[in-house]
Amino acid sequence: MKTRMFTALVATTTAAALLAACSGGTKSASEGGGGSKTLTLASVDQGSVEDVVKAFEKANPGVKVRYTTSGADQYQQQIRTQLASGTAPDVMSVWPGNGNPAATHVLAKPGYLRDLSDQPWAAKMPPAIKSVAQYEGKTYNAIFGQNGIGAVYNDEAMKKAGLTPPDTWTKLLAFCRDAKAKGTPAFALGNQDNWVTQLVLYAMVATTVYGPDRDFDQKLQAGQATFAKSEWATALDKYLTMEKTGCFQKNPLGTNYEASQQLAATGKTLGIIQGNWVIALLKGKNPQASFTLKAVPATDTPSQTLIPAAAGAGYGVNAKAKNPELALKFVNFVMSPQGMPLFTKKQGSLPSLPDTGFKVDPSLTELSTFITSNRTVPFMDQLWPNAKVQQTMLSGLQEIFSGQSTPQGVLKDMDNDYKAGS
Amino acid sequence: MTLAPNAQLPDRDHSPDPAPGTPPRCARTTPPWWFMAPALLLFAFVVLIPSGRGLYYAFTDWDGLDPDFSFIGLDNFAEMTRDTDAVQAIWHTLLIAVSITVVQNAVGLLLALGVNSAIKSRNLLRVLLFAPAVVTPIVTAYLWRNLLGPDGAVNSLFGAVGLDGWRQDWLGSPDLALWTIVGVIVWQYAGYSMVIFLAGLQSVPQEVHEAASLDGAGPVRRFWSVTRPLLAPAFTVNLMLSIIGGLKLFDQVYALTGGGPGHATDTISTLIYKDAFTLGEFGYSIALAVVLTIIVAVASTGQYALLARSERAAS
Repeated sequence: MKTRMFTALVATTTAAALLAACSGGTKSASEGGGGSKTLTLASVDQGSVEDVVKAFEKANPGVKVRYTTSGADQYQQQIRTQLASGTAPDVMSVWPGNGNPAATHVLAKPGYLRDLSDQPWAAKMPPAIKSVAQYEGKTYNAIFGQNGIGAVYNDEAMKKAGLTPPDTWTKLLAFCRDAKAKGTPAFALGNQDNWVTQLVLYAMVATTVYGPDRDFDQKLQAGQATFAKSEWATALDKYLTMEKTGCFQKNPLGTNYEASQQLAATGKTLGIIQGNWVIALLKGKNPQASFTLKAVPATDTPSQTLIPAAAGAGYGVNAKAKNPELALKFVNFVMSPQGMPLFTKKQGSLPSLPDTGFKVDPSLTELSTFITSNRTVPFMDQLWPNAKVQQTMLSGLQEIFSGQSTPQGVLKDMDNDYKAGS
Repeated sequence: MTLAPNAQLPDRDHSPDPAPGTPPRCARTTPPWWFMAPALLLFAFVVLIPSGRGLYYAFTDWDGLDPDFSFIGLDNFAEMTRDTDAVQAIWHTLLIAVSITVVQNAVGLLLALGVNSAIKSRNLLRVLLFAPAVVTPIVTAYLWRNLLGPDGAVNSLFGAVGLDGWRQDWLGSPDLALWTIVGVIVWQYAGYSMVIFLAGLQSVPQEVHEAASLDGAGPVRRFWSVTRPLLAPAFTVNLMLSIIGGLKLFDQVYALTGGGPGHATDTISTLIYKDAFTLGEFGYSIALAVVLTIIVAVASTGQYALLARSERAAS
């Protein structure tokens, strides 16, 4: 009797859990669009969108925002089903560029997103952001925040070593040698976590590939260029030259992201080449220390240096929104000087538009200057046709570092995956 | 997850005591077959139907999202033979499974023999040796990931006692990483094997040992001719559990190295995960899962048949 009761209990619980899992997240969408004062919204910005919604409702009395937040994986699976069945919310999170199921290109191509090119902020977007917010020349994604990759220096450690951040390639290598001679390697590198392997390479690629040729991506798409026979090979070579010169601590492949932060935060290395998001983590590990992000030079002309800066996920408007006016109003609020800082401050990123009145953290001054003077390029993978190219690069870089593969071998593999298309 | 105690044990009599004649059977009525229905229904919904449907997707090019996918026959399986990552992963999986099975059981048996003797504080030792097995694998994996870092506790320890030559890039070197993973798993589960062997050892009757001693058998001979045959059921259980656990190994590998550096420690399970959730190649990764299922089924039934025969021969 007891066993059967238990079986029945398990069966009901399982059924309930399954039903809950199936219905989760679609609730707001199916109920949405009641009155003209209700906006439906699906977001992945858990932890920051709440403040924005509150401020939006306050600025527009009587308006009610019904919103759901979910993790990226779950969201990406959900939103396409909702769009296809006509139950998607008015406003939804959309990723920049291409390469994931809810990215701008993927959703704009079948006509799911409303063209936002006529909105006041669309023309003000810097080119690097615009290139991933657009599909076939039209803007579909209200991207509000961005992140950059640079050398994050531990100010105290630099002072102790008596060194200053280098601004040319030659000085960078000399800096590495000096740092090593003083017993404190220049940069921490946590290549055990494979996503970390790409950051130094991206920093090199920005200047060496996109410096001379800002249209490299179009050429790659048209089949006029390849990774293997382009400046990508030079960039990769510079990455390995840095490794050989001793720019990084010993055994980067055995060091994970967490351990690399520990090294840079406590001054066991002079800094770390990472995204600006690492600064908050470093401060968490060493609250007394201060950090400064600088561009990583890859040539001997400082004015040529570019920073890879990527747009974060933004918001798109459903082409079949039940409340299009309110949807536009919300997106414009997100892109306004009131809305944008609410997001970027909580997320530790920089606003995508100039003149939002956002007070930049002093450690990010250089990144901010590069962004305003249009000296950034998007993260390279955001315009690749599929996710495999990046994965091949990431494991390939680990293989190069452990002597299992060669730079040309990896770049050729990337070319093959790129050609396989979407 | 690996080597979980709830893995199915072979349904047979483990008593090492070869009872003469059949024991009196309890009188029992056979319950009607439909008593199974609720459990069977649940099992069908949770296991059989999803697995069956999953099997179908192995023959498609489904990307996990698009309802428009096509039947592509055996293409996924053909692709596997050309995919060096997959071939490598299958090889790593077999290598890990075999080495874990051998080392873990050898260590487990030695530990069991040790704590079965009259040494001091053996109860405390039993608890300590078994302790790692009750910790969640992912937790021990993260623990070891930090201990085995270039400046981690393990290398620092070697440095402190003057063994600088022993300092290694345990997880960052493609030649070492796989064996480091095997080491971590043996550390965690040797105690588990030990407990099963210990149970077997304690049911070996003392009189048999005494008789053997009187006949002039030394400790090695006594182990080989008395203990070993009587431990046969414990061997069957242990080998079966460790080979299945080794073949489907995922969490420790994923937490320790993520399959890296490069693909140096990828197993079939980590590749299944990456292909499905990072690359969206669901059809292909399900095909890989089918191959893994076949390997596990063949290895475990084959091994079981073999051990059951030797068990019969021993008793």
